[in-house]
Amino acid sequence: METGIAISFWILAAVTIASALAVVLFRNIFHAALFLVLCFFTIAGIFVILSADFLAAAQVLIYVGAIAVLIIFAIMLTRETQRGSPSGRLRLPALMVGLLFLATMVFIVVSTDWQVITEIPDQPTTSAIAQALFSGEEGFVLPFEIAAALLLAAIIGAIVLVRER
Amino acid sequence: MNLYLLAPEISLCALAIVVILLDLFIGRKWILGVVAVAGLIVPAAFTLALWGVNETSFNGMLVVDQFSLFFKLFFLVIAALVILSSTDYSFKFSAFRGEYYALVLLSAMGMMLMASTRELISIYIAVELTGISLYVLAGFLKDPKSSEAGLKYLLLGAVASAVLLYGMAMVFGLSGTTHLNEIAASIPAGGLLANPALLMGIVLLVAGFGFKIAAVPFQMWVPDVYEGAPTPITAYLSVASKAAGFAVILRVFYEALGPLSLDWGIIFAVLAAITMTLGNVVAIAQTNIKRMLAYSSIAHAGYLMMGLAAVSTLDPGALGPSGPGALVFFLAAYALTNLGAFIAIIAISNKIDSDEISDYSGMARRAPILSLALLFCLISLIGIPPTAGFIAKIYIFTAAVDYGLIWLVIIAVINTVISAYYYLRVARVMYLGTPLSEERVPSSWALRAALAFACLGVLFLGLYPWALLRIAETAVSIFP
Amino acid sequence: MVVGLEHFLILSAILFSIGLYGALAKRNAVVILMSIEIMLNAVNISMVAFWRYIAPALMTGQVFVIFIMVVAAAEVAVGLAIIIAIYRSRETVDAEQIDLMKW
Repeated sequence: METGIAISFWILAAVTIASALAVVLFRNIFHAALFLVLCFFTIAGIFVILSADFLAAAQVLIYVGAIAVLIIFAIMLTRETQRGSPSGRLRLPALMVGLLFLATMVFIVVSTDWQVITEIPDQPTTSAIAQALFSGEEGFVLPFEIAAALLLAAIIGAIVLVRER
Repeated sequence: MNLYLLAPEISLCALAIVVILLDLFIGRKWILGVVAVAGLIVPAAFTLALWGVNETSFNGMLVVDQFSLFFKLFFLVIAALVILSSTDYSFKFSAFRGEYYALVLLSAMGMMLMASTRELISIYIAVELTGISLYVLAGFLKDPKSSEAGLKYLLLGAVASAVLLYGMAMVFGLSGTTHLNEIAASIPAGGLLANPALLMGIVLLVAGFGFKIAAVPFQMWVPDVYEGAPTPITAYLSVASKAAGFAVILRVFYEALGPLSLDWGIIFAVLAAITMTLGNVVAIAQTNIKRMLAYSSIAHAGYLMMGLAAVSTLDPGALGPSGPGALVFFLAAYALTNLGAFIAIIAISNKIDSDEISDYSGMARRAPILSLALLFCLISLIGIPPTAGFIAKIYIFTAAVDYGLIWLVIIAVINTVISAYYYLRVARVMYLGTPLSEERVPSSWALRAALAFACLGVLFLGLYPWALLRIAETAVSIFP
Repeated sequence: MVVGLEHFLILSAILFSIGLYGALAKRNAVVILMSIEIMLNAVNISMVAFWRYIAPALMTGQVFVIFIMVVAAAEVAVGLAIIIAIYRSRETVDAEQIDLMKW
């Protein structure tokens, strides 16, 4: 069991990192978008390893089903493929920032003494999430309400920006 | 769960929906602006009715106290002024006036919530509600410049919120909670050096919020976005979005990370010095008045951060107000001043269709009152009496001196002298240049009312600052 | 070898750095948006890992991820709307001159 989880983690992690690299390195923007889809899928797998079953499903539905499809639509609509995905003047500084950030984070993660709990949480988590979101006494009702206003603003905004006058 | 505590936000959201729906049925679109401004009385009345209440709701996520109520009123007043000053501008997007006002109202709702939530998830969603509305508003004109402003603002804003989220994740990972007061309780003893993950979390939070307040080195979006966005929205961004950023910084850093104030105080002191110097030095080279005011707003973020650096007054017999109190006063003074300046610019640039400072030549003869108002606001931005800007600077400088940040005050005073040069250059062009034409500059009553309110407010705060200072001190007294 | 919290956090840090690099280095707005999505996903992995290993009793970490997904979807929708608006105005106004992704 443990080794099975470990093996699947290493495979999924490798594919995730490779596909994320492909997204930022490929010059063909359409291929980059397809690798983004792969990256989203493997992250859903990571969520399964972390025993977050509901989030894994939500990851596939929202990121793959909505966000990736939207991005591919935008690529098609604007014919961005012809321009490709060139790097700007900031390529080297960006590389430095990225590597520096990575080194710092790795150092911090390794050197911090995390208060880890090893027991595996109950599954499925769906009903517990629903409780946490909607129960009046201890739930996250306030951010849920604000998210409604946020979606309203996003819908109005997207319509206004795309509609011809 | 007490819904009444949320009444200002709920009524504001309802107002936004009413404006959109009215837009469908009404032919005379100017009515929408009237409804939007008049309707703001309702949330303002709820806010005033709640004045003095000190309660939490929604499982401790929503907190109604003097701090949040002060900022709610502050954002409502700014939203009203921005809508009033948009009336002369809205012909540029006449088909979408209803949506424009609705988005201004929704972003104001987000800012009000930023000041009054006490829990990281709610703070994040409120920040994003504000952000998304403002991204759309920045790109509202749909001409290449405005769209570019909207896109840059969105992309850099999204990067900033990803960084902010990473910081929140670090804090969550160390404390296991997103409630600010519980985070404060879980902060381990031994300071930051013993706890690198917390240090990283704080650095990421400073970076994420630093974007919202336009602090160096997260200021690169400011000039392009301010130049390209519709001018009323530029005013709104420079004032309300910055104030909301400071409100949320005060809330998070005092309530959740208060025990570490010595550590983050130093971060803010260094950032303040860099920010004000860079803002002022680059502003000298600008020829476009919106870009100049953009760098001026970066410089002011630097002055404002002095209030964060002067964490609290150590000495009970100190001369001036506390750092946060001076910061809140400075925000109010800066808001009125900058809004006044931008409102005058809206009227002038509508006529001459240009934002170049050289085109303001001889404006004092074409628009004597507008020029006088602009001059008055520029004087307040420098910090010369009898204006609000002068008092605000005195307060924030004394707060920093009381805290022992003499070096920072010296840098700030040098910066103030530098800033006088580029502000007064605009005045010289307006008053000593020869007019490019003899045509008068027209303005609507709504715009004049907003301009009069801003200028009288600046004058009033310059002469009688004590009432507002007392309110500001009560507002920040909730912080330990 | 047992997979623990640190493994997930380092995976998250690697993904975040890749996204950060892409967001800063790329000139194409759509690619920058994709990089930002990678950054948000990296944060999501951290959040879920913290939920799993630090505070599994409360669902806070997972709830946070759900809200991040909501905001990400809204942000992408608005971002693509702006990109399409730019594309339109550029196609009709001036196809060649404006290099919009000049930072």
